[in-house]
Amino acid sequence: MRLIRAELLKARRRSATWILLVVALALTALIYLLIGRSIGGVGCDISFGGLDESCIVEFPASYALIDQFAFTTLGGLLAIVYAAAFVGADWNWGVLRNVIARGESRARYLLAKAAGLSIVLLIGCAIIFFFALAMTLLTALTHGIPIASPLRGNGLVDLVTNFGLGYLVVLERAALGFAVAVVLRSQLAGAVVGIVLYLGEGIITTYLTFTAVARYFGDSGGFGDGALQLVGPEWFQYLPMTVGNQVLSWAPGVAGNIAAGGLQGIFLRPVPLEQALPALLIYLFVAIGVSIVSLNRQEIV
Amino acid sequence: MIDAQPPALPQEFLPRTDEPTPDLAVATRGLTKAYGRQVALTGLDMSVPTGKVYGFLGPNGSGKTTALRLLTGLLRPNAGTISLFGTPYTWHDRTRLFKVGSLIETPSFYPYLSGAENLHVLAASGPPTDLRRIDQVLQYVGMSGRAKSPVQTYSLGMKQRLGIAAAMLSDPELLLLDEPANGLDPGGMVAMRETLRYFTAELGKTVIISSHLLHEVEMLADVVGIIDHGRLIREGPLADLLDSAGRVRVRVAPDDMTKAAAVLRDLAPDRPLYGVDSGEGVGWFTVGVAPARAAELNQALAAAGVYASGLEPGSDLESIFLDLTGRTGNVAAPPDTRGPTAEAGPPAMGQT
Repeated sequence: MRLIRAELLKARRRSATWILLVVALALTALIYLLIGRSIGGVGCDISFGGLDESCIVEFPASYALIDQFAFTTLGGLLAIVYAAAFVGADWNWGVLRNVIARGESRARYLLAKAAGLSIVLLIGCAIIFFFALAMTLLTALTHGIPIASPLRGNGLVDLVTNFGLGYLVVLERAALGFAVAVVLRSQLAGAVVGIVLYLGEGIITTYLTFTAVARYFGDSGGFGDGALQLVGPEWFQYLPMTVGNQVLSWAPGVAGNIAAGGLQGIFLRPVPLEQALPALLIYLFVAIGVSIVSLNRQEIV
Repeated sequence: MIDAQPPALPQEFLPRTDEPTPDLAVATRGLTKAYGRQVALTGLDMSVPTGKVYGFLGPNGSGKTTALRLLTGLLRPNAGTISLFGTPYTWHDRTRLFKVGSLIETPSFYPYLSGAENLHVLAASGPPTDLRRIDQVLQYVGMSGRAKSPVQTYSLGMKQRLGIAAAMLSDPELLLLDEPANGLDPGGMVAMRETLRYFTAELGKTVIISSHLLHEVEMLADVVGIIDHGRLIREGPLADLLDSAGRVRVRVAPDDMTKAAAVLRDLAPDRPLYGVDSGEGVGWFTVGVAPARAAELNQALAAAGVYASGLEPGSDLESIFLDLTGRTGNVAAPPDTRGPTAEAGPPAMGQT
């Protein structure tokens, strides 16, 4: 606990924590401002696959955008960068040797760091998530769209499930950034390589999605009955970043909303949650395990 | 000529086979470390008595910091053993380090945290540490007044003080300080000396201090170990070392340096001779004869027509260090007065 409290103190005092939070909130506000300008209709017609602009401010369909923004695209990227900075700074500032030379267990130190990071991310995700909820309500009110409370029907369960799944996705991505920074012993290298992995996997899976769809068209000779989500699940949907999207695609308000899944959501069937969630957790724990093994083997100079 | 090669290892500094004893705070036997193909330590045998200040000396790149990193578990040795307080210590015995405080190389802290906060987060790691100790060690090093300022606003000397405070945080039995005087002002150096003296003399703890500041070590150390090319070439009580290396320092006019060098070499043909032109109208020689022979030396110089304007006991750590490591010190003389000293030539920076 002493170590975790120390990690929280470091996070609280570090300007990067607050800068990234402000950036996330500012971008969230900006996106809702832009959405507000583009809303024309009054009411969400989910039968259109969630593509109706009003759906993005009407619950539960609006969770699609909130989740995507808070946990996958923006949240996921910031989590990678922050995690790399969180752990990699110990090498950059040379403070790791102080800790190791005091006889601290390397594994215990890293686990405490990971625990501290997970608490900071929990708080950060909650702030961004609820800020996005508030922005959704505000945008709906501003445009005279009937407010459907985030708590209606399965509301509280939906809210908790969305947040819980989203937080797990953020944790997994942070764990990947964490592991890269530990292996490379640098916060900058960790952040850069993490971002490259994130974007690189996105580009590769987009290409593979096209390839899979083209293969399907080649085999079937066309759209057939005109339905979407014809292909998959494909192997590349289990890749570390993509599998997070698969987990979130089952969140209430997102499931069935093909607009939330981007290109893959339109063309590929999602990986079942009972497969996607364990895969995500495996990546999470393997990343922490790799970090510990790497630090245990490292010589600190 | 001035000796430029390191002397052959005396018999007593050949690899040791004796077992470390509990009265040794640190003992290494055959400690070897290489970074890839670059060998940093080749069979280091050091013995640090408990309750003493051990001055760990050596030129740049001689392996001092590598040795300290090995002692603190930051590096794994390729071969050899380490004993802490008489019992073997290996890479995985991390809790043995609970009795060790260290400042290795430059002091490193989170720049955005204050000095006190840095000690606070450091106290969370390693041995259980009473947080009241933070104020105490800050007071020891004279940093109480700036304890709440961010470390990024500290000068090098202040960081160094904080580094010493961090090393003392868990009230260790053994302190390892790598160049602790770096950046300290004269007042800070005196305070450090007093603190370390108190640490050993009053509290019975052990200090290993690695430094380039030979004068500082000479004032502080009870025992010294001199390392060069990754091997300990001399170790023992400082007083014995100074006694065994009888020397006299002779001051002559620069114009007389050539003549004087010839006389002095005849007096101690087997000992190295150092000559320094201070550049201020004075030339200094350090000659390897016992101070008791100073009168004889003066007489020999006078017979050769050289009148010494000063004679004093010249055994100091610096000259011993230069002797043992084969470094020549500041041996420079004007072209027209270069006699015996000219053969050694001016030292290269990389040599010292």
